[in-house]
Amino acid sequence: MNGATTSAQAEDQACYVYGVVPDAAPKPADAAPGVGNPPSPVTLIHHGEVAALVSEIDPEAPLGSPDDLRAHAEVLDTAAKRGPVLPFRFGGVVRDAQAVTDELLDPFEERFAAALEDLDGRAQFAVRGAYRQGRILQEILADRPEIADLNARTKALPEEAGRYERIRLGEMVAQEMAARSAADSRALLERLAPLAVATSDGAPAADLAVDASFLVDPGRREEFEAAVEELAGVWAGRIDLRLLGPLAPYDFVTGLIERTVEAS
Amino acid sequence: MTTVAHRGGGYVARPTPSGLVDVVDLILDKGLVIDVYVRVSLVGIELLTIDARIVVASVDTYLRFAEAVNRLDLAQGKEETLPELLQDMQEGGAKHKTKGALEGVKDTVSDVADRIRGRKDEDEDDEDEEEEEEEIDDEDEGQEEEDEEEPEEQPRRRRAPAARRRRER
Repeated sequence: MNGATTSAQAEDQACYVYGVVPDAAPKPADAAPGVGNPPSPVTLIHHGEVAALVSEIDPEAPLGSPDDLRAHAEVLDTAAKRGPVLPFRFGGVVRDAQAVTDELLDPFEERFAAALEDLDGRAQFAVRGAYRQGRILQEILADRPEIADLNARTKALPEEAGRYERIRLGEMVAQEMAARSAADSRALLERLAPLAVATSDGAPAADLAVDASFLVDPGRREEFEAAVEELAGVWAGRIDLRLLGPLAPYDFVTGLIERTVEAS
Repeated sequence: MTTVAHRGGGYVARPTPSGLVDVVDLILDKGLVIDVYVRVSLVGIELLTIDARIVVASVDTYLRFAEAVNRLDLAQGKEETLPELLQDMQEGGAKHKTKGALEGVKDTVSDVADRIRGRKDEDEDDEDEEEEEEEIDDEDEGQEEEDEEEPEEQPRRRRAPAARRRRER
């Protein structure tokens, strides 16, 4: 690594790393451009049983435009559709291809290979849903008479006079919405978690009713998708449900690697 | 919004490709952290991440909800989903430069109840960010569409320490 300083300074290209796949993974399609502007083609750096998905970028150019984010996801999700992939976090850049081999693939080959084997065939699905505003608010007014009363009162008040009542009203609506989101999230997990190998969920962000990710075995994928469709039918008109996937296992890869470390 | 493909007339939407908000939520702060593995040859780059617009339980949020619920029976036909309602509060997702080797992304994203919003013009500079004061008290019903609260937080610019390190060596 003695030449690192001088060569890094002279280099106008560096190696962006998307993830790690098995050595036998198919070459990325030409159609999938990488990050950066203009994007370079995504290629594989092979080493032993594994290979890294990389593309050249200009290390001086800032990264993170919507196109860059989409490209990162697109490269990984495309790989996930074809086989196992260990996704790296957005923004990982290594000096050059040699460094990817020497510092990433060579020392961690066994660990990556074990995690890829563990993953085989499984993919992540994300299920997200947003409330229909009118519907959920009506539901709240119907179920909570005190909120409906306050609503009627604030409506009658002039703008200035009703400020604090309106803040209170909004607060009550927001709390009720959060309670409904928690209940709907529980229902979602009860239905879908049994069909998945692993589940990842946090509190849905403020504008979402439900938001969870699932690692799904290929053998249960149809069943899982049917269950999501069924839930979407139950919630139709109330929650607009969307299903993303198959995706690279963004939420599960860290756990996979840790498990292989513990096992070894 | 993005193209939403309904398969076989089903209820669940399967957007392909995923919308930007979904992509950001999926990938930022997720995945293996490369600097755990690569130490010597890690290159710090400048990351422009989309600013996480934080939706906290704030007075403004409450007033928006109150307005929405007040308006409810006046405008039955117009059904927004919640993201659209909240987007009004979040417009102006500022360009946000942050540090390179990954932690910066975490900084912006790990806040509680955050939502990440991007505008189509992320590539442009953010000089044109309006500095409009929000004056929700005096807001007219009629001009409500134009009135967008601006983020109070200014875009921060930071350079990746890893990038600096590389230059100094």
